Parts: sequence; structure tokens; C-alpha cells
Amino acid sequence: MRRSTAAAVGTLTGAALILGVRLSVQPPAAPAAAPAAQELTGEPAPAESSAAAKKPAGSSSAKPKENGKPAGQAKEEDGLKAGTYKGKAVQNPYGTVQVTIKVSGGKVAGADATYPKTGFSGTINPAAVTKLNQETLTAQSAKVDAVSGATFTSQSYVTSLQAALDAAGA
Amino acid sequence: MGTVVSIELADDLPEPRLRELIASTCAWLHEVDARFSTYREDSEVSRLRRREIDLPDCSDDLRLVLDRCAGLWRETDGYFDAYATGPLDPSGYVKGWSVEVASARLAAAGSTRHHLNAGGDIRMRGAAPGGGPWRVGIRHPWQADKLAWVLAVREGAVATSGTYERGAHVWNPRTGAPATGLRSVTVTGPDLAVADAYATAALAMGEPGLAWLAKRVADGYESAAVTEDGRAFTSPGLPVAP
Repeated sequence: MRRSTAAAVGTLTGAALILGVRLSVQPPAAPAAAPAAQELTGEPAPAESSAAAKKPAGSSSAKPKENGKPAGQAKEEDGLKAGTYKGKAVQNPYGTVQVTIKVSGGKVAGADATYPKTGFSGTINPAAVTKLNQETLTAQSAKVDAVSGATFTSQSYVTSLQAALDAAGA
Repeated sequence: MGTVVSIELADDLPEPRLRELIASTCAWLHEVDARFSTYREDSEVSRLRRREIDLPDCSDDLRLVLDRCAGLWRETDGYFDAYATGPLDPSGYVKGWSVEVASARLAAAGSTRHHLNAGGDIRMRGAAPGGGPWRVGIRHPWQADKLAWVLAVREGAVATSGTYERGAHVWNPRTGAPATGLRSVTVTGPDLAVADAYATAALAMGEPGLAWLAKRVADGYESAAVTEDGRAFTSPGLPVAP
């Protein structure tokens, strides 16, 4: 299931940027505990950020960061309170997009978007992105028909495993 | 750079016929070398480089090769680059393509069970001598006499790019610096030239190449990679031999 989420990230990067601008003039919704540290690169999301993406909107009750000053005083003069805010989930033809903005020093310090899993992204992106699995590097000897390796030269072929195979088969 | 091509025919054909097939395959590979080598002054590629001929004058084969190089340049975000070292050098595509053509010609001539190994990049077809899939070892990136994986492949290609054999010979076209981060990248899939180009491109990308390789799975290309610090990665569908 994470696969379709990651795929949607790639598709929706452009849309997220536009929505981010629009949301910055709307009243912020319920503050969230932490910014969804999801990178908008289209790469498979790391496990942590996909966990963050699964969090339903408004489920967090944490207070926004106060930046050393009481919220709602000095920061209100600038119009934006420090903290991390999640926007309303917006439906678009590709699925649901939810934008998070981070406010610091009275300014929007960063915008981010998450894409809760919906049926849409699953069908739009059937060829979902997978991730390579990490495993232990082994050093084995086994009977093989051929050896694949970095291209050897005519000179280094002589000492290669493939040359030994060829000699054995000749 | 010269390399060695190993050819194995597993067909149940009379020995003289097998020898004919090997001879015609060798003739084709020598023809490709004569026409496309950048080391030969009189090759078509060298003449195109010197602008003695223009693109419309080139053979259909060379125009196809240049077209595919351009396609792979786009597909790999510019990391597979026939101009990476300056003047045109399509060798990175030509090797795999020539073996693909050789295998297709063998099949058309009646050899449906064979493998060709061009300097570590392999195209196989049909059943291996034992009747099962071909067992392809992937060389261990530090121990030349050991294997890191063994794959079982009946039909398709296995290509490996690495820094261990010829040193840092793959460049990151974005930085102009030698590729670092990955020591060995193996890609397996239907077409040898594409698999080889993907492996080279991922090697040039360095560690971000791991995420890029994962996306190639959707196109039918599985992969195995080893980082410079010895971490190993495989795509979920890699055909590891049982």
C-alpha cells in the first residue's frame, strides 16, 4: 500500500505547490504535531514519513511551537503564528491532497503535502514504485553457466571467472 | 577497448551447423566493431565524428543506435550520455545492441537455446544445457573469484556496470566527477542494451540510483546493487536462483 502513496507523490508534486500558495491565505486548520517530512521528489518515501502521511487530519492535539514567545501576541502582528498547520484535505482528480505549512518567524518557512491513500491514486498509478530491499552481501561459489560483471578488457578476461568457465566448457 | 565475447549454443544441432552459427555470429560482431568502433579511424562513427558524413548519410543501423542513445539519455535524466566523454561515443549502447542482434539472428537461423556473454553483459535464450534456466553468477564486487548472487534466467539479459574492473571510468554528467557511491549495479530484463544503459546510468547517479532503479521494475527491469561501503540491495522480483 505504501507503493501507491509514493507513486502519487511523484504525480502530484506540481499540484501541491499551487495548493500550498492558496492555503497560506486561508485560516490555518488544526495544528499538527510535526511536519510531514515527506520529500516531494517522487522517490519512495522513507518509512517514517509514510507513517506521518497515514495520520488522519486533525488527529493530533499537540500545540504549535511557540518560538519562545506566547502564541497569539507578537506573532499575530505578523498575521501568522509559529507552528505547523495542516490544510483541509482537497480532492482533485488524482486523489486527496493535504498540504502542511510550517510557520516560523511570522513567515511560511516551508510547505509540504501529503497524499492520503485513496482508490484514485491506486488506479491512476497501477505501476506503483517499489523500493530495493537491503540484504547482506554474500560471497558464494556456485556452479553457473555465465558470469556477469563490470566490463572486463581483453587483458583482464584472462584472469576472470568467465574465462575459467569457458576453459572448462571448451 | 577490446573485450571478449563468449558464445554457448545448447541446441541439439549437428556440430558442423553449430560451428557455422558460431562463425556467422563472430563475423557479425567483427562487422559491428569495424563499423562502430571509436578506435578505428575508418569506422562510420569516426567519420561521423569528423563530419565527413552527416546524419542522413549514415547507415540505418547507426541512425537507430543514435536514436536509441537519445531515448536512453531522456529516460535516464541524462545519466546515460553518448557524449559523456566529449565527442560522440555510442559504444555503451552498441555493445548490448550488437549482442541483441546476434542473438536474434541466431534464433532466426535455428539456434533457440544459447547465451552470449560480451565482457560480462549476457543475453540468453531458451533452456540451458541441463534443460532449466541459465544460471548467471553476478561477480562479487571485491572478490573476483566469488559470486554475490546467482540468477536463473531463461529469456532475457543480465548486465553489470561496476567501478572495480576498470576503476572510475563512469562519470556523473551533472558534476563531471567520477561516479561514486555505488560499486556494482546489475540490471536484468528483456533487452541487453537497455539493461546495460540502466546499469551504467544508475552507477553514474551514485546512491540516488537505488531509488531510480526501483522505478525501472515497472518496465520489467529488476536489479541488484552494492554500495561502496558494502551494502547490498535487490529489487523484489530479482530472479535469484533457488
